Amino acid sequence: MDPARLSARSEFLYGTRAVLPAATATAAWGIVTGVAMVKAGLSVSQAIGMTVIVFAGSAQLAATPLIVAGASAPVILVTAVIINLRFIIYGAALSTHFRGASALRKLGLGYLSADISFAVFMQRMASEPGRPFADAFLLGAAGANWVVWQIASLLGIVLAGFIPTRYGLGFAGTLALAALAVPLVRTGPARLGVAATALFALATLDWPLKLGLFAATAAGMATALLAELWSEHRARRRPREADRG
Amino acid sequence: MGDLYVWSVILGLTLVTIVTRAGYLFVPERLGLPGWLERGLRYAPACALVAIIASDLGLSPASAGIMTLLANPRLLGLGAGIGTFLATRSMLATIGVGMLVFNLAR
Repeated sequence: MDPARLSARSEFLYGTRAVLPAATATAAWGIVTGVAMVKAGLSVSQAIGMTVIVFAGSAQLAATPLIVAGASAPVILVTAVIINLRFIIYGAALSTHFRGASALRKLGLGYLSADISFAVFMQRMASEPGRPFADAFLLGAAGANWVVWQIASLLGIVLAGFIPTRYGLGFAGTLALAALAVPLVRTGPARLGVAATALFALATLDWPLKLGLFAATAAGMATALLAELWSEHRARRRPREADRG
Repeated sequence: MGDLYVWSVILGLTLVTIVTRAGYLFVPERLGLPGWLERGLRYAPACALVAIIASDLGLSPASAGIMTLLANPRLLGLGAGIGTFLATRSMLATIGVGMLVFNLAR
Protein backbone atom coordinates (compact mmCIF):
# COMPACT_ATOMS: atom_id res chain seq x y z
CA MET A 1 0.00 0.00 0.00
CA ASP A 2 1.36 3.45 -0.80
CA PRO A 3 2.37 5.62 2.18
CA ALA A 4 -0.14 8.43 1.48
CA ARG A 5 -3.00 5.98 1.67
CA LEU A 6 -1.64 4.41 4.78
CA SER A 7 -1.47 7.67 6.64
CA ALA A 8 -4.91 8.81 5.47
CA ARG A 9 -6.11 5.57 6.95
CA SER A 10 -4.29 6.11 10.24
CA GLU A 11 -5.70 9.64 10.47
CA PHE A 12 -9.18 8.18 9.93
CA LEU A 13 -8.57 5.79 12.83
CA TYR A 14 -7.25 8.62 15.02
CA GLY A 15 -10.50 10.41 14.28
CA THR A 16 -12.69 7.50 15.29
CA ARG A 17 -10.70 7.07 18.50
CA ALA A 18 -10.96 10.78 19.33
CA VAL A 19 -14.78 10.75 19.52
CA LEU A 20 -15.03 7.55 21.55
CA PRO A 21 -14.70 9.24 24.98
CA ALA A 22 -17.88 11.15 24.13
CA ALA A 23 -19.70 8.01 22.98
CA THR A 24 -21.70 7.46 26.18
CA ALA A 25 -23.00 11.03 26.10
CA THR A 26 -23.86 10.71 22.40
CA ALA A 27 -25.57 7.38 23.03
CA ALA A 28 -27.62 8.74 25.94
CA TRP A 29 -28.66 11.71 23.86
CA GLY A 30 -29.60 9.44 20.94
CA ILE A 31 -31.72 7.14 23.09
CA VAL A 32 -33.56 10.11 24.61
CA THR A 33 -34.18 11.64 21.20
CA GLY A 34 -35.52 8.33 19.88
CA VAL A 35 -37.84 7.78 22.86
CA ALA A 36 -39.02 11.40 22.88
CA MET A 37 -39.86 11.47 19.15
CA VAL A 38 -42.11 8.41 19.44
CA LYS A 39 -43.62 9.45 22.77
CA ALA A 40 -44.45 12.89 21.38
CA GLY A 41 -46.53 11.25 18.65
CA LEU A 42 -44.42 10.37 15.60
CA SER A 43 -44.92 6.88 14.16
CA VAL A 44 -41.99 4.45 14.39
CA SER A 45 -41.22 4.72 10.66
CA GLN A 46 -41.40 8.54 10.77
CA ALA A 47 -39.07 8.60 13.78
CA ILE A 48 -36.62 6.26 12.03
CA GLY A 49 -36.72 8.35 8.85
CA MET A 50 -36.15 11.48 10.87
CA THR A 51 -33.17 10.16 12.78
CA VAL A 52 -31.46 8.46 9.82
CA ILE A 53 -31.61 11.33 7.34
CA VAL A 54 -32.13 14.54 9.35
CA PHE A 55 -29.26 13.63 11.72
CA ALA A 56 -29.53 16.71 13.95
CA GLY A 57 -30.78 15.81 17.43
CA SER A 58 -31.66 19.23 18.80
CA ALA A 59 -33.47 20.24 15.59
CA GLN A 60 -35.32 16.89 15.60
CA LEU A 61 -36.44 17.38 19.20
CA ALA A 62 -37.49 20.95 18.51
CA ALA A 63 -39.39 20.02 15.35
CA THR A 64 -41.23 17.01 16.79
CA PRO A 65 -43.77 18.83 18.99
CA LEU A 66 -44.34 21.35 16.18
CA ILE A 67 -45.03 18.53 13.69
CA VAL A 68 -47.39 16.80 16.11
CA ALA A 69 -49.20 20.10 16.76
CA GLY A 70 -49.63 20.49 12.97
CA ALA A 71 -47.62 23.73 12.72
CA SER A 72 -47.09 24.90 9.14
CA ALA A 73 -44.03 23.54 7.35
CA PRO A 74 -42.27 26.93 6.91
CA VAL A 75 -42.51 27.59 10.66
CA ILE A 76 -40.99 24.20 11.46
CA LEU A 77 -38.18 24.61 8.93
CA VAL A 78 -37.30 28.14 10.05
CA THR A 79 -37.24 26.91 13.66
CA ALA A 80 -34.81 24.16 12.62
CA VAL A 81 -32.64 26.70 10.80
CA ILE A 82 -32.44 28.84 13.94
CA ILE A 83 -31.57 25.83 16.13
CA ASN A 84 -28.92 24.89 13.55
CA LEU A 85 -27.41 28.37 13.18
CA ARG A 86 -24.45 27.23 15.27
CA PHE A 87 -23.49 24.93 12.40
CA ILE A 88 -22.93 27.98 10.19
CA ILE A 89 -20.35 29.17 12.72
CA TYR A 90 -18.78 25.69 12.69
CA GLY A 91 -18.80 25.81 8.88
CA ALA A 92 -16.93 29.11 8.92
CA ALA A 93 -14.24 27.48 11.07
CA LEU A 94 -14.13 24.29 8.98
CA SER A 95 -14.00 26.12 5.66
CA THR A 96 -10.43 27.32 6.21
CA HIS A 97 -9.29 23.66 6.28
CA PHE A 98 -11.16 22.43 3.22
CA ARG A 99 -10.76 25.18 0.62
CA GLY A 100 -9.42 22.88 -2.07
CA ALA A 101 -11.69 19.89 -1.39
CA SER A 102 -14.08 18.57 -4.03
CA ALA A 103 -17.75 19.55 -3.85
CA LEU A 104 -18.78 16.03 -2.91
CA ARG A 105 -16.24 15.92 -0.09
CA LYS A 106 -17.37 19.31 1.25
CA LEU A 107 -20.98 18.17 1.15
CA GLY A 108 -20.27 14.88 2.90
CA LEU A 109 -17.93 16.27 5.56
CA GLY A 110 -20.26 19.19 6.26
CA TYR A 111 -23.38 17.06 6.51
CA LEU A 112 -21.71 14.62 8.93
CA SER A 113 -20.09 17.26 11.17
CA ALA A 114 -22.25 17.30 14.29
CA ASP A 115 -21.25 19.08 17.51
CA ILE A 116 -18.92 16.43 18.94
CA SER A 117 -17.02 15.68 15.75
CA PHE A 118 -16.55 19.39 15.11
CA ALA A 119 -15.22 19.93 18.65
CA VAL A 120 -12.80 17.00 18.35
CA PHE A 121 -11.60 18.19 14.92
CA MET A 122 -10.94 21.74 16.10
CA GLN A 123 -8.99 20.42 19.11
CA ARG A 124 -6.82 18.37 16.78
CA MET A 125 -6.23 21.28 14.41
CA ALA A 126 -5.34 23.55 17.34
CA SER A 127 -2.83 21.10 18.81
CA GLU A 128 -1.28 20.08 15.48
CA PRO A 129 -1.93 22.73 12.86
CA GLY A 130 -1.02 21.79 9.31
CA ARG A 131 -1.17 18.07 9.96
CA PRO A 132 -2.04 16.35 6.66
CA PHE A 133 -5.18 14.32 5.94
CA ALA A 134 -7.43 16.58 7.99
CA ASP A 135 -10.35 15.34 5.90
CA ALA A 136 -9.63 11.71 6.80
CA PHE A 137 -9.46 12.62 10.49
CA LEU A 138 -12.78 14.48 10.35
CA LEU A 139 -14.41 11.68 8.38
CA GLY A 140 -13.27 9.15 10.99
CA ALA A 141 -14.56 11.27 13.87
CA ALA A 142 -17.85 12.16 12.20
CA GLY A 143 -18.40 8.65 10.88
CA ALA A 144 -17.89 7.00 14.29
CA ASN A 145 -20.16 9.59 15.88
CA TRP A 146 -22.80 8.90 13.20
CA VAL A 147 -22.74 5.16 13.91
CA VAL A 148 -23.05 5.60 17.70
CA TRP A 149 -25.85 8.14 17.27
CA GLN A 150 -27.87 6.00 14.85
CA ILE A 151 -27.64 2.81 16.92
CA ALA A 152 -28.67 4.70 20.08
CA SER A 153 -31.56 6.52 18.37
CA LEU A 154 -32.93 3.32 16.84
CA LEU A 155 -32.66 1.68 20.26
CA GLY A 156 -34.62 4.58 21.77
CA ILE A 157 -37.31 4.35 19.08
CA VAL A 158 -37.75 0.62 19.76
CA LEU A 159 -37.66 1.07 23.56
CA ALA A 160 -40.34 3.77 23.39
CA GLY A 161 -42.91 1.08 22.54
CA PHE A 162 -42.29 -0.67 25.86
CA ILE A 163 -42.56 2.39 28.09
CA PRO A 164 -46.09 3.29 29.26
CA THR A 165 -47.33 6.70 28.10
CA ARG A 166 -48.41 7.68 31.61
CA TYR A 167 -44.85 8.65 32.58
CA GLY A 168 -45.06 11.59 30.18
CA LEU A 169 -41.72 10.77 28.56
CA GLY A 170 -42.23 13.40 25.85
CA PHE A 171 -41.07 15.79 28.57
CA ALA A 172 -37.68 14.01 28.57
CA GLY A 173 -37.01 15.76 25.27
CA THR A 174 -37.54 19.16 26.90
CA LEU A 175 -35.16 18.18 29.71
CA ALA A 176 -32.57 17.03 27.18
CA LEU A 177 -32.82 20.41 25.41
CA ALA A 178 -32.27 22.09 28.79
CA ALA A 179 -29.11 20.01 29.32
CA LEU A 180 -27.91 21.22 25.90
CA ALA A 181 -28.80 24.84 26.58
CA VAL A 182 -27.23 25.28 30.03
CA PRO A 183 -23.56 24.93 28.96
CA LEU A 184 -24.19 27.47 26.18
CA VAL A 185 -25.11 30.11 28.76
CA ARG A 186 -21.72 30.96 30.23
CA THR A 187 -21.39 34.73 29.95
CA GLY A 188 -23.36 37.70 31.27
CA PRO A 189 -24.70 38.71 27.84
CA ALA A 190 -25.82 35.12 27.18
CA ARG A 191 -27.67 35.05 30.53
CA LEU A 192 -29.45 38.30 29.74
CA GLY A 193 -30.27 37.00 26.26
CA VAL A 194 -31.89 33.77 27.41
CA ALA A 195 -33.77 35.57 30.19
CA ALA A 196 -35.21 37.96 27.60
CA THR A 197 -36.02 34.99 25.36
CA ALA A 198 -37.84 33.10 28.13
CA LEU A 199 -39.96 36.12 29.13
CA PHE A 200 -40.72 36.94 25.51
CA ALA A 201 -41.61 33.32 24.70
CA LEU A 202 -44.05 33.14 27.63
CA ALA A 203 -45.59 36.49 26.72
CA THR A 204 -46.14 35.47 23.09
CA LEU A 205 -47.50 31.95 23.71
CA ASP A 206 -50.84 32.79 22.13
CA TRP A 207 -49.32 34.16 18.93
CA PRO A 208 -50.45 32.13 15.91
CA LEU A 209 -48.23 29.60 14.09
CA LYS A 210 -45.68 29.55 16.91
CA LEU A 211 -44.35 32.84 15.55
CA GLY A 212 -43.60 33.84 19.14
CA LEU A 213 -40.66 31.39 18.98
CA PHE A 214 -38.88 33.52 16.38
CA ALA A 215 -39.75 36.79 18.03
CA ALA A 216 -38.44 35.47 21.34
CA THR A 217 -35.24 34.10 19.78
CA ALA A 218 -34.55 37.32 17.88
CA ALA A 219 -35.26 39.42 20.97
CA GLY A 220 -32.87 37.28 23.02
CA MET A 221 -30.10 37.43 20.40
CA ALA A 222 -30.44 41.20 20.09
CA THR A 223 -30.39 41.58 23.89
CA ALA A 224 -27.26 39.44 24.21
CA LEU A 225 -25.46 41.22 21.37
CA LEU A 226 -26.32 44.67 22.77
CA ALA A 227 -25.20 43.59 26.25
CA GLU A 228 -21.92 42.35 24.77
CA LEU A 229 -21.32 45.58 22.84
CA TRP A 230 -22.21 47.65 25.89
CA SER A 231 -19.80 45.81 28.18
CA GLU A 232 -17.05 46.20 25.57
CA HIS A 233 -17.81 49.88 25.27
CA ARG A 234 -17.50 50.25 29.05
CA ALA A 235 -14.28 48.28 29.13
CA ARG A 236 -12.83 50.57 26.46
CA ARG A 237 -13.86 53.74 28.26
CA ARG A 238 -12.53 52.82 31.66
CA PRO A 239 -8.78 53.13 30.95
CA ARG A 240 -9.28 56.55 29.39
CA GLU A 241 -11.15 57.76 32.46
CA ALA A 242 -8.30 56.48 34.57
CA ASP A 243 -5.87 58.52 32.42
CA ARG A 244 -7.80 61.67 33.08
CA GLY A 245 -7.90 61.06 36.83
CA MET B 1 -51.08 15.36 10.67
CA GLY B 2 -51.04 13.42 7.46
CA ASP B 3 -48.21 11.08 6.58
CA LEU B 4 -47.32 13.09 3.46
CA TYR B 5 -47.06 16.28 5.52
CA VAL B 6 -44.76 14.62 8.06
CA TRP B 7 -42.49 13.12 5.40
CA SER B 8 -42.20 16.36 3.46
CA VAL B 9 -41.26 18.14 6.71
CA ILE B 10 -38.65 15.41 7.36
CA LEU B 11 -37.17 15.93 3.88
CA GLY B 12 -37.19 19.68 4.46
CA LEU B 13 -35.39 19.21 7.79
CA THR B 14 -32.76 17.10 6.02
CA LEU B 15 -32.15 19.96 3.59
CA VAL B 16 -31.85 22.32 6.56
CA THR B 17 -29.16 20.08 8.07
CA ILE B 18 -27.23 19.96 4.79
CA VAL B 19 -27.45 23.69 4.09
CA THR B 20 -26.57 24.84 7.61
CA ARG B 21 -23.71 22.34 8.05
CA ALA B 22 -22.15 22.26 4.59
CA GLY B 23 -23.33 25.58 3.12
CA TYR B 24 -20.48 27.70 4.43
CA LEU B 25 -17.89 25.38 2.85
CA PHE B 26 -19.16 26.54 -0.56
CA VAL B 27 -18.97 30.27 0.21
CA PRO B 28 -15.99 31.92 -1.55
CA GLU B 29 -13.42 33.23 0.91
CA ARG B 30 -14.08 36.92 0.18
CA LEU B 31 -17.84 36.61 0.87
CA GLY B 32 -17.86 35.72 4.58
CA LEU B 33 -20.48 36.89 7.06
CA PRO B 34 -20.05 40.37 8.57
CA GLY B 35 -18.44 40.25 12.01
CA TRP B 36 -21.41 41.58 14.00
CA LEU B 37 -23.74 38.99 12.47
CA GLU B 38 -21.32 36.18 13.28
CA ARG B 39 -21.20 37.44 16.87
CA GLY B 40 -24.98 37.60 17.11
CA LEU B 41 -25.32 34.10 15.68
CA ARG B 42 -23.27 32.71 18.58
CA TYR B 43 -26.25 33.42 20.84
CA ALA B 44 -28.83 31.92 18.47
CA PRO B 45 -28.71 28.27 19.62
CA ALA B 46 -29.05 29.08 23.34
CA CYS B 47 -31.90 31.52 22.69
CA ALA B 48 -33.73 29.18 20.30
CA LEU B 49 -33.43 26.27 22.75
CA VAL B 50 -34.74 28.39 25.63
CA ALA B 51 -37.64 29.64 23.50
CA ILE B 52 -38.66 26.05 22.73
CA ILE B 53 -38.25 24.93 26.34
CA ALA B 54 -40.37 27.86 27.54
CA SER B 55 -43.12 27.09 25.03
CA ASP B 56 -43.00 23.38 25.98
CA LEU B 57 -43.92 24.17 29.57
CA GLY B 58 -47.59 24.13 28.70
CA LEU B 59 -48.21 27.46 30.42
CA SER B 60 -50.80 29.87 29.09
CA PRO B 61 -51.26 33.58 29.74
CA ALA B 62 -54.28 32.56 31.88
CA SER B 63 -52.05 30.53 34.21
CA ALA B 64 -49.74 33.46 34.81
CA GLY B 65 -50.64 33.78 38.50
CA ILE B 66 -47.61 33.10 40.67
CA MET B 67 -49.25 30.21 42.55
CA THR B 68 -50.36 28.33 39.43
CA LEU B 69 -46.92 28.96 37.99
CA LEU B 70 -45.17 27.46 41.01
CA ALA B 71 -47.47 24.43 41.00
CA ASN B 72 -46.73 23.62 37.33
CA PRO B 73 -45.23 20.09 37.25
CA ARG B 74 -43.23 20.80 34.10
CA LEU B 75 -41.70 23.93 35.58
CA LEU B 76 -40.82 22.03 38.77
CA GLY B 77 -39.32 19.18 36.73
CA LEU B 78 -37.36 21.62 34.59
CA GLY B 79 -36.02 23.45 37.66
CA ALA B 80 -34.93 20.18 39.25
CA GLY B 81 -33.36 19.06 35.96
CA ILE B 82 -31.36 22.27 35.52
CA GLY B 83 -30.17 22.10 39.14
CA THR B 84 -29.08 18.51 38.57
CA PHE B 85 -27.25 19.43 35.39
CA LEU B 86 -25.36 22.25 37.11
CA ALA B 87 -24.31 19.81 39.85
CA THR B 88 -23.46 16.77 37.72
CA ARG B 89 -23.00 17.92 34.08
CA SER B 90 -24.75 14.69 33.13
CA MET B 91 -27.63 14.65 30.68
CA LEU B 92 -28.87 11.29 31.95
CA ALA B 93 -29.00 12.49 35.56
CA THR B 94 -30.75 15.67 34.39
CA ILE B 95 -33.44 13.68 32.63
CA GLY B 96 -33.75 11.16 35.48
CA VAL B 97 -34.23 13.73 38.24
CA GLY B 98 -36.36 16.02 36.04
CA MET B 99 -38.73 13.18 35.10
CA LEU B 100 -38.93 11.99 38.71
CA VAL B 101 -39.91 15.43 40.04
CA PHE B 102 -42.29 16.01 37.12
CA ASN B 103 -44.09 12.70 37.77
CA LEU B 104 -44.23 13.21 41.55
CA ALA B 105 -45.71 16.68 41.05
CA ARG B 106 -48.45 15.52 38.70
